[in-house]
Amino acid sequence: MIDPFIYFLLFLKASLFSTGGFSNLPSLHQDLIANGWAKESYFGQSIAIGQISPGPNGLWVISLGYLTYGFAGAALSLVAITLPALLVLVISAGYTRIEGRTWVQGAMFGVSLAVVGILLAVVWTILRQPGEDWKGLLIAAGAFGLALSRKVNMLIILGLAGLAGYVLYR
Amino acid sequence: MKQQDSGPSKWLLFRIWAGVGLQSFGGGASTMLLIQRAFIEKYKWLTIEEFMYFWNLCVLTPGINLVAITVLIGRKLGGVWGIVVSLAGLLLPSATITCLLAASFQQIENVAAVQAVLRGVIPATGGIMLLVGCNFAIPLLRRGYKEGVLYLVGSGALMIACALAVILLKLSVVVVILSAILLGALFFTPRKGAPLLLKEDQGEGQ
Repeated sequence: MIDPFIYFLLFLKASLFSTGGFSNLPSLHQDLIANGWAKESYFGQSIAIGQISPGPNGLWVISLGYLTYGFAGAALSLVAITLPALLVLVISAGYTRIEGRTWVQGAMFGVSLAVVGILLAVVWTILRQPGEDWKGLLIAAGAFGLALSRKVNMLIILGLAGLAGYVLYR
Repeated sequence: MKQQDSGPSKWLLFRIWAGVGLQSFGGGASTMLLIQRAFIEKYKWLTIEEFMYFWNLCVLTPGINLVAITVLIGRKLGGVWGIVVSLAGLLLPSATITCLLAASFQQIENVAAVQAVLRGVIPATGGIMLLVGCNFAIPLLRRGYKEGVLYLVGSGALMIACALAVILLKLSVVVVILSAILLGALFFTPRKGAPLLLKEDQGEGQ
């Protein structure tokens, strides 16, 4: 039987010690499997559902919550991924005190550069997933071009990509 | 923080965030682009520099960065209630749909067509995320260009080094960011005290 309190704490812990939407996965995987509260296949399924459903990437946890513990799990996981984000208020208050110093400006410039680098790494990871081939790169280039043109709605771009996947990979 | 009262109505804020949440299929990349378009380009409540300033703070915050930036933008535009309606708008509708999809997905997961569609959607996500990266990189490189060739080359090198550290060395994102803080403080600290990414910097946003 799942203990709702422990269950919630596990999700909260995973979220507190992560950055970005996916880095809470290892912690959740370890804890939920150890407690026998999740099957191995739930994790892959949850991430796939996260990809095709709206909202930030990190909402894949909601589907993990649902698959493991029904609607209660989905609700608890939503709270667990929302709370840590409020810490940004603390960080922003602390940051205002030191932002006048010149080294802080240099450091933040470094962070901005790192963010771009990490985004590039995520792009790389997505495009180099097992089974990804030149057709996938073509779809990626097409999506990039359409988004760049600003004329096509994001939903339409992903719809076209899904259609391309259906035609190319079926 | 000064002009909270003159900010947009809470209902409008909720609707904009709900729109951002519901339209951002394919994850974080499109969400970022939608936030940029709505708040920077359409309503002009934020500059791209301000957005990046917020984003930097969010990268230093645990958890989902997009949720954290929603908190910061919500606070800027509407104080505490701005935070509440922004979070509710971004998360509730899209989380409900995610949950319902999870409920129905179990039934169709083995259908070949579903898997083929997914194989098309995933690389498109990569293409969109690349555009977000470019949007971020351009003001930084422009800044580097203004400071001189050495600065520009250094900026590009640190960007690529961070990407490679994650891809090849599989370093934790936290380690990469901490290193970038150190390297940035060492090599990119302005000599004349010229501000780099201050909130007030209205800059050359489109």
